[in-house]
Amino acid sequence: MPDNTTHESERKERTVVTDGGRSDVEREKEIDYLNVEINLLKPGTPFMRDHNRVILTGFFLWAIIVFGPVTATRLAPDLMTQPIPGLGFPLHYFLIAIGGPGGALLLSVWYVRKRDKIDEKYGIEQVQAPETTRTDTSSEPAATDGGVDR
Amino acid sequence: MNGLAFAALSLIGDAAVVLQADEELLPEGLNIGFKPVPAIIVIAMMGLFLAAGVFYKVADTSDMWVAGRSIGNVENGMAIGSNWMSAASYLGMAALIALSGVYGLAFVVGWTAGYFVLLIFLAAQMRRFGKYTAPDFIGDRFNSDAARAIAAVTTFLIGFVYALGQARGMGLVGLYILGDPGIPGLSGYQAMMVIFMIITIAYLSLSGMLGATKTMVLQYVILIGAFLIGLVVTGYAGGYSTILPQLEYGMLISELSAEFSEPFVNQSYYVWIATAFSLIFGTCGLPHVLVRFYTVENERMARWSCTWGLFFISLLYLSAPAYAAFGTDLYSSEVQPAYGDPGMSAEAGDVIVVLATQLAGLPTWLVGIVAAGGIAAAVATVAGLFIAGSSAISHDIYANIINPDATQRQQVLVGRLSIVALGALTILFSLDPSAPIAALVSFAFSLAATVLFPMFFLGLWWEKTNRQGALAGMSTGLILWLIPMFNEGHFQIAPLGIEFLETWMPAIGSGLIGVPVVFAVTIVVSLVTPEPPLQTKQMVRQCHSPDPMPKDKTAADVVRERNGNGPTPADD
Repeated sequence: MPDNTTHESERKERTVVTDGGRSDVEREKEIDYLNVEINLLKPGTPFMRDHNRVILTGFFLWAIIVFGPVTATRLAPDLMTQPIPGLGFPLHYFLIAIGGPGGALLLSVWYVRKRDKIDEKYGIEQVQAPETTRTDTSSEPAATDGGVDR
Repeated sequence: MNGLAFAALSLIGDAAVVLQADEELLPEGLNIGFKPVPAIIVIAMMGLFLAAGVFYKVADTSDMWVAGRSIGNVENGMAIGSNWMSAASYLGMAALIALSGVYGLAFVVGWTAGYFVLLIFLAAQMRRFGKYTAPDFIGDRFNSDAARAIAAVTTFLIGFVYALGQARGMGLVGLYILGDPGIPGLSGYQAMMVIFMIITIAYLSLSGMLGATKTMVLQYVILIGAFLIGLVVTGYAGGYSTILPQLEYGMLISELSAEFSEPFVNQSYYVWIATAFSLIFGTCGLPHVLVRFYTVENERMARWSCTWGLFFISLLYLSAPAYAAFGTDLYSSEVQPAYGDPGMSAEAGDVIVVLATQLAGLPTWLVGIVAAGGIAAAVATVAGLFIAGSSAISHDIYANIINPDATQRQQVLVGRLSIVALGALTILFSLDPSAPIAALVSFAFSLAATVLFPMFFLGLWWEKTNRQGALAGMSTGLILWLIPMFNEGHFQIAPLGIEFLETWMPAIGSGLIGVPVVFAVTIVVSLVTPEPPLQTKQMVRQCHSPDPMPKDKTAADVVRERNGNGPTPADD
């Protein structure tokens, strides 16, 4: 495998960004992933660069949502233990007990939608399974092909 | 198995075998005694799970192992939720919040927030790799049977430690439903725990063949239904809330004592962070969680179902603190002050969900449904854990390493023996558990976080991680996990009690130190030893390609085709 050559040329192209006239999407199409080095900190392709940006942004926000409130409570206990008007929760309690899980959930939704958009940008279609099994396997189990895969 | 049980017995020595006096390990305030209606509910529920398993059995063999074509996002999300909900979620979390207030919230955060990390870093890549058990992934990614064996031993240990918490839950709730059966030499708790563990092993032998996603969906619906109905009715009957107790309990918090509401009165900031950290990264290292991403149609669905899973899990995790608040208030007014001396015992805390419904004056059948949910969660989880643990022994260690020519028959025999050994070990160690349910379970999370998570993460995100790095990292991780466990005496032998360690590396949160150290060791050793073979690197690369991949193919298949028989020079 010409491991390094593709990688290097790809890398050079990236430094020229737009003036080459080819878009990320076009360059992405020419890439053979079996030749691209995998390193979280050095994304090797336009797709991975876009994806990594979302991943690392998400991770950063996540770390703040998860460890932020408790750290703030450690630093400014008086401020953080004030009750919230209306709900009655102390602020720290609310941010940890409800903000933590809720924030992680919202971030997950944000991530999957972002990722769907990236997929759209690069024209990535997921394989859809043939519409066969659902009804027949569950309604008449004995009649189906059991272990046969297709 | 006998040898193992014997070794365990002699390890314990006489100290722990001295049986409990009747009053000990009894949750005060809980109305213990045989209750016919709740007993029927428990039996009916288990029967229903088995029946659903039988009904969907055929659909399952093709669905789960070959294609998973019929499992949708929402359904798979529910399966993730049901897979996740053990006695630790159902009983243990409310218990820790009731017993230790804001510190308990580290568990709420730790057991939910980890799913995001799993989602962005591991779910889709793991699915593309195509191996979905920890030992398989690690053995193949690092080309090493020794690594496979360490991963298998870790899986077995996780199953065992995790099951301790479940067994404790079964014993305590079983006591509520069936009372003290009066087995000579055993306390009520011990007798119920032993009985339910035996029932679990029986259930396992039946359900092991059926473990269908449909059954899990049903389990989820029943568990969450029992939990939420119990909470809403308790809140209403107690005059705390109307329709949304998850938000309405806020008012109650400032009325409860400082132990409940003030931060860091029960545990330091450091321990809070360490606990949450371990639970989060433990979630990402748990073998049985990763399996669920293999059952969906494609990666996009793997991502969406992970998100749905988090949603379904959050329903319970946003409700448990409300249970804790109601339960603590009811307990303080009707039993005794919850804090101070004597205060609420760990046992009462562990049944606070059941206790709250009982103290709020709900009818016995409704309390029974809530209690039954706890038992169902525990039984189903132990069944899953034992299957994972025994297959690690029979498939990954016995058939792959010890006896490569093993027949199916021999493998099944070894699998069965290891289930019995796991059951016996769990029973022995649960006779006198060293910590509340959620704490016991969190030890398993620390283990998964320290030993397995770094291998999954580095294995998928840094192609230069090699065999030597993995072996060094995993051994370091195991040692780092064992040190605080022995230090605090969780293996039923006298604690070493080194104070410095207890403060900075508590067993409940040992991942905070363990994970970075294991990362460092793995990276350094990988850098100073030869790089992994190109084939292995290509497997990792294949995991990150955005090109859709047929679900019945593994990354290894793709790489093999490209290098061997496939039309190699055809790339653009």
